[in-house]
Amino acid sequence: MKVKITKWNAVATWRWDIPEDDVCGICQVHFDGTCPTCKYPGDDCPLLSGKCGHNFHMHCILEWIKQDSAKGQCPMCRQRFEWTEQPSETSMDMTQGASDV
Amino acid sequence: MLKIWSMKKEQQKAENAAEGTTGVAPKKKKVTAAQLRVQKDLSELSLGSTMTTEFPDPDNILSFILYIEPDEGMYKGGRFSFTFNIPASFPHEPPKVLCREKIYHPNIDLEGKVCLNILREDWKPVLNLNAVIVGLQFLFLEPNASDPLNKEAADDLRNSRDGFKRNVRQAMAGGSVRGETYQRVLV
Repeated sequence: MKVKITKWNAVATWRWDIPEDDVCGICQVHFDGTCPTCKYPGDDCPLLSGKCGHNFHMHCILEWIKQDSAKGQCPMCRQRFEWTEQPSETSMDMTQGASDV
Repeated sequence: MLKIWSMKKEQQKAENAAEGTTGVAPKKKKVTAAQLRVQKDLSELSLGSTMTTEFPDPDNILSFILYIEPDEGMYKGGRFSFTFNIPASFPHEPPKVLCREKIYHPNIDLEGKVCLNILREDWKPVLNLNAVIVGLQFLFLEPNASDPLNKEAADDLRNSRDGFKRNVRQAMAGGSVRGETYQRVLV
């Protein structure tokens, strides 16, 4: 049987490449969602991973860390909140919906 | 096919234009970060059988009253109320909590200020309103004499637990302890 593809539609989803799939502890919104000040998720509202292993929306944790009362500590574990580079790479899950065989 | 990216751009352009022309009057009132977070916290509140909340202004969830009726411990039989005022900077700043009654308690002063670590120095934004109300409830089960706000009550507790218990009963009934008259809170 000969098949000729005349048309195909590609569908893509994305999610942050982090081990746990959870909410930001500060705003309680899903990591794939935005912090309360942002409108669009993704690169507009990135995550920041601390060396202690806790993740937050970057805007949420920076808002906290700039306060004196934060004492530079992670709001989860009270260790010093330090981070290296940002995990700006998103992992792409490609799902192809081929049609019109 | 939907062109999401160009739609997004157009939407943004339209919004910017609207803001530019109307200036001060936005069509929808913006929900603040504090409101969003409080809404989530309230939906996850577990009040149990000993606590209830009251919203004097149903349109303002940032200000409410919490009633606690301890069902065990020395403060059993009392009904205590706390005002919660949540600042716009919540959850980066803790809620402001005041006891509305004048009560005899080592960790609550005569003006209603509450000494609870997570309401002050140990607050962190991952804590929620549930943590605060659990903390308040705990104060009635285990009043602690270290780091007091009502020094007399703390001294009494340290010196004699039984004497302190008697004082609590007396104060809750609206009596006086050490020359200070307290409010009747018995139900």
